Amino acid sequence: MAMTWRASQSRLSATPGQVMLALGIALFLALFLIWPTATVIWVAFTEKGSSTFTLVNFLDFVRTDLFVRSFWNSFYVSAMAVVCASVLALPLAYITSRFTFRGAVLIQTLGFLPLIMPPFVGAVAMQLFFGRNGSINLLLDDWLGFKIAFMDGLNGVIFVQAIHYFPFILINLSAGLRNIDSAMEEAAQNLGASGFRLFRRIVFPLAMPGYVAGASLVFVKVFDDLATPLLLNVKDMLAPQAYLRVTSIGITDPMGYVISVVLIVASVAAIALSALATRGTDYATVQRGGGGLARRELRPWESVLAYAVVTLILLLVLAPHAGLLLLSFATIWSFSPLPDSYTVAHYARIFGESSLYIKNTLVYASLAGLIDVVIGTAIAYLVLRTRLIGRTALDWAASAALAIPGIVLGIGYLRAFYGVQLWDGTPLATLWIVIVLALAIRRLPYALRSCYAALQQISVSLEEAAENLGATKARTVRRIVVPLMTGGILAGFVTSFATAAVELSATLMLVQSNSDAPLSYGLYVFMQSAAGRGPGAALGVIAVLLVAACTILSHIIIERGRAAAESRH
Amino acid sequence: MSHRRFGLLLAFSVLFAIPPAYAQAPTGKVTVVTSYSKDVTDPIKKAFEAATPGVTLEVQNRNTNAGVKYLDETKANNQVDLFWASAPDAFEVLKAKNLLEHYTPKATGIPEKIGQFPINDPKGYYFGFAASGYGIMWNERYVKAKKLPEPKEWGDLATAPYYDHVSMATPSRSGTTHLTLEAILQGEGWDKGWGTIKAMAGNFRTVTERSFGVPEAVNSGEVGYGVVIDFFAFSAQASGFPVKFVYPTVTTIVPANVAIVAHAPNKTAAESFIEFLLSPTGQEVLFAPGIRRLPVNPAVYAKAPPDYPNPFKDPRLNGMVKFDVEKSEVRNGVVDALFDQIVSFQLDSLKASTKAIHETEAALAKKDNAQARALLKQARELINAMPVNEATASAKETTGAFTGSKQKGARQAELEQQWAAFAKEHCAQAKAKAEEALKLAR
Amino acid sequence: MTSPFALSSTTASEISARAVSVRIENVNLSYGDHHVLKSVNLDIRPGEFFAFLGPSGCGKTTLLRLIAGFNRADSGRVLVDDKDISALPPWKRDVGMVFQSYALWPHMTVARNVAFGLEEKHVGRAEITRRVEAALNLVGLGGLGARRPSQLSGGQQQRVALARTIVVEPKLLLLDEPLSNLDAKLRVQVRRELRELQQRLGLTTIFVTHDQEEANTVCDRIAVMNDGIIQQIGTPKELYEKPANLFVANFLGTANILAGQLVQSGADRAFETENGLRIQIAKDADIPANARLVFRPQDVALVAAGEPPGADAAQISGTVAYREFLGAMIRYGVRIGASDVIVDTPFHAGDRLHDVGTEVTLAISIRSARWLAD
Repeated sequence: MAMTWRASQSRLSATPGQVMLALGIALFLALFLIWPTATVIWVAFTEKGSSTFTLVNFLDFVRTDLFVRSFWNSFYVSAMAVVCASVLALPLAYITSRFTFRGAVLIQTLGFLPLIMPPFVGAVAMQLFFGRNGSINLLLDDWLGFKIAFMDGLNGVIFVQAIHYFPFILINLSAGLRNIDSAMEEAAQNLGASGFRLFRRIVFPLAMPGYVAGASLVFVKVFDDLATPLLLNVKDMLAPQAYLRVTSIGITDPMGYVISVVLIVASVAAIALSALATRGTDYATVQRGGGGLARRELRPWESVLAYAVVTLILLLVLAPHAGLLLLSFATIWSFSPLPDSYTVAHYARIFGESSLYIKNTLVYASLAGLIDVVIGTAIAYLVLRTRLIGRTALDWAASAALAIPGIVLGIGYLRAFYGVQLWDGTPLATLWIVIVLALAIRRLPYALRSCYAALQQISVSLEEAAENLGATKARTVRRIVVPLMTGGILAGFVTSFATAAVELSATLMLVQSNSDAPLSYGLYVFMQSAAGRGPGAALGVIAVLLVAACTILSHIIIERGRAAAESRH
Repeated sequence: MSHRRFGLLLAFSVLFAIPPAYAQAPTGKVTVVTSYSKDVTDPIKKAFEAATPGVTLEVQNRNTNAGVKYLDETKANNQVDLFWASAPDAFEVLKAKNLLEHYTPKATGIPEKIGQFPINDPKGYYFGFAASGYGIMWNERYVKAKKLPEPKEWGDLATAPYYDHVSMATPSRSGTTHLTLEAILQGEGWDKGWGTIKAMAGNFRTVTERSFGVPEAVNSGEVGYGVVIDFFAFSAQASGFPVKFVYPTVTTIVPANVAIVAHAPNKTAAESFIEFLLSPTGQEVLFAPGIRRLPVNPAVYAKAPPDYPNPFKDPRLNGMVKFDVEKSEVRNGVVDALFDQIVSFQLDSLKASTKAIHETEAALAKKDNAQARALLKQARELINAMPVNEATASAKETTGAFTGSKQKGARQAELEQQWAAFAKEHCAQAKAKAEEALKLAR
Repeated sequence: MTSPFALSSTTASEISARAVSVRIENVNLSYGDHHVLKSVNLDIRPGEFFAFLGPSGCGKTTLLRLIAGFNRADSGRVLVDDKDISALPPWKRDVGMVFQSYALWPHMTVARNVAFGLEEKHVGRAEITRRVEAALNLVGLGGLGARRPSQLSGGQQQRVALARTIVVEPKLLLLDEPLSNLDAKLRVQVRRELRELQQRLGLTTIFVTHDQEEANTVCDRIAVMNDGIIQQIGTPKELYEKPANLFVANFLGTANILAGQLVQSGADRAFETENGLRIQIAKDADIPANARLVFRPQDVALVAAGEPPGADAAQISGTVAYREFLGAMIRYGVRIGASDVIVDTPFHAGDRLHDVGTEVTLAISIRSARWLAD
């Protein structure tokens, strides 16, 4: 009797273990996300000259033309970046997931690379290719007598952001497309639909949840990103305004923090809106049976077209990396389509120091990725499989990290943890583990979304079967849920790892000594002088190669897992 | 053993194990927060560690803004010994927040002023160890390809051919640019000074938020000309970039400073680092091609490479007016915010009106028209008009909005909105006038 | 109460169809080294309800998808009304298909699902509304057009899938295991309705199933498939009575299959099974090599031991190994030598049953015995 009572109880609420887990995560988020952030942004709510609560600063925000303009610019740029990123991602996702296409894994991996754009050098490389006097415009001007303003103003930001963040759409949309029962498509063909109409009326609507997930991520990232607009000298956007105000010397103005609050609210709203828009439309798993995944053969002329499109897109999105590679071997590259000559001296220069940076980067990024997937899996499980009160709050809190500017988190960490001393008097904030925690918090939303999607596709009956055979909740999670989620967990790890490896904004505030510094910091130090451009680019190349190698490795593991799972069917 | 007892014991042992610092030769690790690149810090670190055995220099790279923020945020448990950067305003802020330690350097042979600029903080909290001059840097390939002139004076940059080809860092992000700006304002007076600045800014392609953003853009050929500190140009030349540099006849000298952070964990070693920087050996390191700063000890120039500028003799580097540090300090935030509101964030409207003026001038040069000239003069006056006068800019009510004074008063955002609206309105009117003049001139 | 699944009385004239013939000529298809269809030839007459029957993996669905255009043959042709459609893409074939999973689009309402094909054909708006309504009425789902597929029961979804397909008036209707997702009772009902609808529309229809009962009850003719080869084509009666080979005999209904050999003694020929049964063979009978003796359980009678065998029966004794009570009849498993012979005897109230372990004598009707090879 006691057993049945407990079993029915666990269906309704949660086991003590789950409660403990939820409390643990809540504590982690409170300690490393909410508290540090709150210590920084509370200023936004206080009156000048006193510390009383006020909202007058927000009134100032809407009264100031610059901020209002910045808000709309950010909105416009984010929306347009989503559109452009979609144009880049759609063909790649469709071709690689719906047709038998040689090199699909390679394309998926290469399509991931733009996310790994090292700070500073990426923008320099883009300018050298696409800038006002970059390779392409110099050649255009020579041959045809006109230029294209790829990199001017808001258009430049849209262009670079679309290239940078389109992998989010690619990854999510590919997953969405793969989950569509092929009979859905065939039924439409059978009734006379084909080509673009088929895609527009059947395939795309069915992949919508995946697309919206990716698109909302792109929107929020672009909305909150400050590095790209700043490097392109676009300042009238929200995130750069916040950054400039927070970091200007001697200015004790609350507006930087007010903007941070606006950023957080806007991002959370965007995510909430996308969740609302796709609620109850998780079609992919509604109907199963029939064909499952069926990739069509391409006809010869279709093949040619597909390869041409894929090549063109890859050339475009990998241009920054190509530029980076050229830059790392270039002696001088100034106002010319290509560098004057080539050298390996830059690699020789960084050879000695880079091993330390590489080691630190690998340690930090993989630890951060690990923390992210553990917490991500746990939150996904609590949200989807329990009725614990406040479980969605955990989800929102973790997702909100997406919107907190790195610099705010960095300062928050210093404020929150510098006063905490260890036994020998060193402040807690000077330990390298704090960098890991900051990275983990910053990248948690990525891993969380992957884990969430993975768990969503696992039928509850699989778990019930295990429980029916005598496995406890904890053992069921370990033996059934986690193994089935491996693909999603790994994907989450890769995203967190790869993006953490090139993160700078929070890192820059928290690095305490050269021996604790990751690659991105080393790169930043190099990129502050003319002579450091080549070595900086070389470090950037190493960072990209490093992350790419890890990514390919994980892709192979994921593909293998999927192949094994399919052969079992 | 209880924790408390253990702690007490530890405290005692520490007390007895480490004798008072002053009696001791410097040892251990000395931590410096700096905005300088590796090209600068590496040779100095090497020379310093060779000259002071037993001491290692730990370099933490942060840009000046982040460095100040960092020291402020970590003051409760400070682990940094030295702050080392160019911009005096950053040191002023640190000093105002009691984050710097007073010290009197023992080094000799360093004059009180370089040009008209005091080398050290008069109150003894930070010390100039090197100087640099401001000038104009340009990309030869760019200038040649677009058939543009080579500039000689600041005024050149305000003329029509330079339209959309010039870049400068914003003073709110670059302390050295701020000094240059302030030098112009003090030299020419508030209204005329801003006129000069705005005439030049009308030709800007970009206003960067990093000092290094300017030479970077010139190096890669993204913009033609940049207003930069000399060493950016020299080190770019040393790396092989096709760039040239010129000091205008009147230029500003900006110092590079170093200071001991309050409650430095290793004060002795910090002092020894300052003494090293100011010693002839330390000063000579500044001649290294990757550093290229101007030593503050005149005697050291005897060993300088050929054609090395000497601010103590070179008339161009000596022509600057007397610089009122106090005045600069008081209105620091106001001047920076003014620049951002009427130039950085209004660049589009400023450029539009400037372009219209350039076009009208060109038309007038062909065919003169008195009425058009009058209109053009009005347009210029509209652009030059300032939302605040000099007295208001330095008044407590204004400056208080920027320094977080405890008094109630105008908020920064309020003032900024007023200034921006003023500038936008005036630029639009100026553009209209200039266009009207152009119609007449044609 | 009328069944919610009963077909509405809407006249089928709303949906008109012109019956077509289908011919499949020498079709071969491989996936890699896996030869899925091997020289398939087939003729389906206009208006026929035709079934592809076989175990899973026999190639029946592949053949159906080939007709719909989702698979491409390595060689051979598919002709509809003597017109080669092999090169046409699925959307130009005018061949309606109902999918096993129904493949209803979850992002559209029922009415939008049904309207889809008409929209693709650029039929006028008013016409679409009218025909969608008619089609839904025809399958008994009038008034449910605004629902989402996920709000319908399995049987209703199946009907929507059917309505969606027939509303475009295809030349040919393909049904891929349409009943497999329904429960047993519903299956019987829906299959009858399917037959009725097909008759009313006069639409040439191909039905894929692995269930012989389904095929037998609904279809005019059946092609039994195994291992990518059509084993036999015929009416259900022909297939049952005269299976062409052991596979067909075994797959349709229950059959006793006994191995043995041909014994020639002078002019007399007999077949002697391994467990000792001996059956005389008519002089003109043509028996293939490696043939086995095949007879149906109902063609065996239990007779009293020692009763003289009739001229048309062969006798053999064995022990009852098991007994199953099936209501209308009793099924005995009689152990003879190493194998069991299945015997079905009709049951009438009051009949006495043979217990397990008792010895019985079997009389096998020679007329119904067949000798078949693999």
